[in-house]
Amino acid sequence: MAAPFTLRKIGVPPNSANLTEARRRVFDFFRAACRSIPTIMDIYNLQDIVAPSQLRYAISAQIRNNAHITDPKVIDLLIFKGMEELTDIVDHAKQRHHIIGQYVVGEGLVQNTGNKDQGKTDFLKNFYTSNYF
Amino acid sequence: MASSFCSSIFMQAPISAKTTRFSLQKPVSIFNNRKTNLSFSLHRRSMPARLAVSCAVKQETVEKVSEIVKKQLSLTDDQKVTAGTKFTELGADSLDTVEIVMGLEEEFGITMAEERAKEIATVQQAAELIEELVQEKTA
Repeated sequence: MAAPFTLRKIGVPPNSANLTEARRRVFDFFRAACRSIPTIMDIYNLQDIVAPSQLRYAISAQIRNNAHITDPKVIDLLIFKGMEELTDIVDHAKQRHHIIGQYVVGEGLVQNTGNKDQGKTDFLKNFYTSNYF
Repeated sequence: MASSFCSSIFMQAPISAKTTRFSLQKPVSIFNNRKTNLSFSLHRRSMPARLAVSCAVKQETVEKVSEIVKKQLSLTDDQKVTAGTKFTELGADSLDTVEIVMGLEEEFGITMAEERAKEIATVQQAAELIEELVQEKTA
């Protein structure tokens, strides 16, 4: 068995200079998250409910949700929030029903709005922007 | 053929270890000299990692890798995955590739360094890297 992976908390690094470095950070974050999956399954007793591959899929789906973003600073912020979430989960600051609702694929407790569609009709689009139209 | 050569090296190593204990006795030492020389030269040849990598990749490793790739990319049965298939040919983007590598890490119980994992583009390369790491682990 490979040596167990521990999440090391490093201070906030400076912003990525370009998209390539931001991309590298995304993959590093993804790898850290995937390597923490055995710990997570152990903490929250998810062995019977979900397979590690499903959790990996859930994580990659969340990353893919924001795949269209090109600004490195925005990507850095998203990774920071992701890291924050991962640290909370690994520290057992969340509870089992949170994990099941948010990451085990299914309806979930929280409605996933996905890419926020700003209203399918013109009426709704105008409605979201201002009161007067 | 290469694998049988590998196994023959491992076969002779324990025998030489036993015979060195009797090296003080004269009649055995003459016989032993030949054997220890042989074992030393063989030992030297088996040291470099080149020999391990030159052994052919096992078919079952390639099959396991293809299985994981198929499941990850949700491929239908008629899409063939052979040793030389590139992941990008099968419609995987870079995140898919990383996810496949993580799936392989979990399946084989190994940890791949980032620089080596970045080079993986085909099923064959993945299988080779896996075999190398598994051998390092069990060695």
